[in-house]
Amino acid sequence: MIDVQGLTKLYGSLVAVEDLSFAVAPGEVLGLVGPNGAGKTTTLRSLVGIIRPTRGTIRIGASDMERDAVGAKRQLAFMPDEPRLFDYLTVAEHLQFTARLYGVRDANARIPALLQELELGEKTGALPEELSRGMKQKLAIACGLLHEPAVLLFDEPLTGLDPAGMRRMKHTIVERARQGAAVILSSHLLHLVEEVCTRVLVINRGRLVAIGTIAEIVASRPDLQGRDLEEIFLALTGGGP
Amino acid sequence: MIDAALYLAGRSLVNGLRRRLRRLRQPKYMIGFAVGLLYYYAFFLRPRGGGQSGTALPGAAAEVVAMLGLMALIVIGWLFGNSRNPLVYTPAETHFLFTAPLTRRQVLDFKLLRSQLALGLSSLLSVVLFSGGHFPATRILRIAGVWLVFATLQMHSAVTALVRQSLEEHGVTAVRRRLGAFVIVAALVGAAALTLRAQLGTVQEAFVDDPIAGFDTLATVLHRGVLGVVTWPFAALVGPAVSRDLATFAARLPAALLVLAVHYVWLIRSSIAFEEVAVESAERMATRIAAWRSGRRPPPIAGPAKPTRRALTRLRETGSPARAIAWKNIQSEWRGSGVRLPVIIVIGLIVVAWVASMGKEAGSGLIVLTVLCLVFGGLAVVFGPYGLRNDLRSDLQLWDLLKSYPMRGADLVAGEVLGPVTVLTAIAWGCVLAAFALSFTFDVETFPVADRVAALLAVVIATPAALAVTTTIQNAAVLFFPAWITLGPARATGVEMIGQRLVMMVGSVVVLVVVLIPAAIVGAVAVAIAGVTGITGVWLSVPGSIALTVTLVFEVVLAFAWLGRVFERSDPATEIGGGG
Repeated sequence: MIDVQGLTKLYGSLVAVEDLSFAVAPGEVLGLVGPNGAGKTTTLRSLVGIIRPTRGTIRIGASDMERDAVGAKRQLAFMPDEPRLFDYLTVAEHLQFTARLYGVRDANARIPALLQELELGEKTGALPEELSRGMKQKLAIACGLLHEPAVLLFDEPLTGLDPAGMRRMKHTIVERARQGAAVILSSHLLHLVEEVCTRVLVINRGRLVAIGTIAEIVASRPDLQGRDLEEIFLALTGGGP
Repeated sequence: MIDAALYLAGRSLVNGLRRRLRRLRQPKYMIGFAVGLLYYYAFFLRPRGGGQSGTALPGAAAEVVAMLGLMALIVIGWLFGNSRNPLVYTPAETHFLFTAPLTRRQVLDFKLLRSQLALGLSSLLSVVLFSGGHFPATRILRIAGVWLVFATLQMHSAVTALVRQSLEEHGVTAVRRRLGAFVIVAALVGAAALTLRAQLGTVQEAFVDDPIAGFDTLATVLHRGVLGVVTWPFAALVGPAVSRDLATFAARLPAALLVLAVHYVWLIRSSIAFEEVAVESAERMATRIAAWRSGRRPPPIAGPAKPTRRALTRLRETGSPARAIAWKNIQSEWRGSGVRLPVIIVIGLIVVAWVASMGKEAGSGLIVLTVLCLVFGGLAVVFGPYGLRNDLRSDLQLWDLLKSYPMRGADLVAGEVLGPVTVLTAIAWGCVLAAFALSFTFDVETFPVADRVAALLAVVIATPAALAVTTTIQNAAVLFFPAWITLGPARATGVEMIGQRLVMMVGSVVVLVVVLIPAAIVGAVAVAIAGVTGITGVWLSVPGSIALTVTLVFEVVLAFAWLGRVFERSDPATEIGGGG
């Protein structure tokens, strides 16, 4: 569903991402982990089409992001760590607006159910300034899920959520994958990655360090045997005390 | 604390300059910078003949003009200002200052001190820009004088905003606390107005005899009796700025400093009072909640929360994404702008027309109103695209979100531009149609009805295209020079922003002229052809307008395609920063 080959992004002489290749199949949840400045956000932004890679190809389903960006984006949903909303559109109008952009023909039928699922049913006429941080996050997620995307990209999805919100978010991610979506989840929260992801991609300084299930990664590095995920991560990225 | 404020201001200035200098490595910014320098030199700094700058006014004129200008600013601020405090704390300031072991007053001092550097630079620029290339040593005194005015105005605006905010949020509670002050100010203003009315004839006669003598007479009137009491703070504040020598400056400085000091105390007290009112209001709310819980009828609250305005139109489920973007921008304009300003404008137009027709024959007020409608419509077309910013100038705050949408860049740019164009077209058409309707209430022998219909058609046809061109240019500017445009509703202040706005304005005018030339040529050809076919008079403007509009629309569509590609290739992280 997601196929990335040789992804490279340069900012002048600064290498943000270098020669990154990986694929994510439908139903899979890939955890994207790495230290600060490793290139996680650049990778995600390239996958969504926000920034153009310097080199490499990105395919979302049958669409190439360079040649058919509109087709590729139609299958995507990107959930940034901070919800991005328009100041003067109400909750319901955000969804109607998103439906129109993504060409969702049965939006009027889907919107009430989605609002109910995300507990926004009583806030349909509210502007973003009237919503709490968690409510805004829910609205951003509702907008992302409305067109039933085949690919979901999450950047630090638990930021600012209360325990119940975190639980719901994890459920949403797993449920969408179970329904056949390909999911990439970027996070520093290793316990979240361990709990939700089927495979892990570790990057450091823009380069791929390891990819696979945790068992596969440990099998390829015998020195990591018996360590927990945090220790594995630090060993792979050269961090830690 | 002072050290910390100065350190923050100094480092922010240096690092900001460094960032801007680094940006000059990009050719587009370097070209813009060079053009800006040339512009400044040509229009402001290049020494011109005549020896003295043109800003020097004779006699008491300078003081009177400065004083009245300041009074106008203050009155407009109180009547039409908003509750946005100019001393807004950034998230970083809030995080660092409010959690630091500082008193509320120290935090406010910190903010005031930090802003003085920008105000000082703005004062310097204001004086230099109007120096006409001549900069004698005494101008340094003027810079200090202007800085005093700016600093006091900043504090006054902050007080105004706090009072407005307090009135908006706490209603009766806030009014009751300020009732005494309101009554005293109202009594003073009323008495001053009566005094001025009594003296108006004398001043008018003096102006008719000799304008300079008129200013002297006006100055005398303004400094006497109740008027003198009301105008004293204004006269005291502008005194140093209009001083011509060191001795006068030194003599006037203590009074200006006193006004500044009073404002400082006023700001501190207002700030604390605002918090007290907020606490009081919170207590009332707590009482109300307790009353509900105990089953008693709760006391009335200060005022209801503002409901969200209903959408002007409903967005259809299917259709072009560009129209969805335009719809969103129209909703933003509808919900974001108050109805107060349009109402004030309409009432203002009627009042001006009424005043202008006083003592003249019946019906002359309607003629004036017709002219005003046409003028206001014209202003909406010429300046509207600079004022209405619910397009890329606002939405590029969400640049990454826009880029994630499954739509062509050209469609997105078109949708963004069409939002404000639709709103401005409605305003301009409304004005023109009102003028057209009003024109039937009086006789215009030289402009028969048929000609008026032709002129109306020509204007109505060309208006949307003209607005689309100007708005597209503004959106192109934000795509090419995002770092030079203030994104979002807030207007950035400071020296460099003034320069950048001037550069952008000149650039926009040049582009506009270039775009209009082919359209004007095609329009002229259409008029010539129409003339050959027998169309005459004002009706020639209709085919001319159609040809002009078609050409402009063609150019705008080309621009959308081009700007769409620019948008698709843009990188938000490079232009306005972002995660990487």
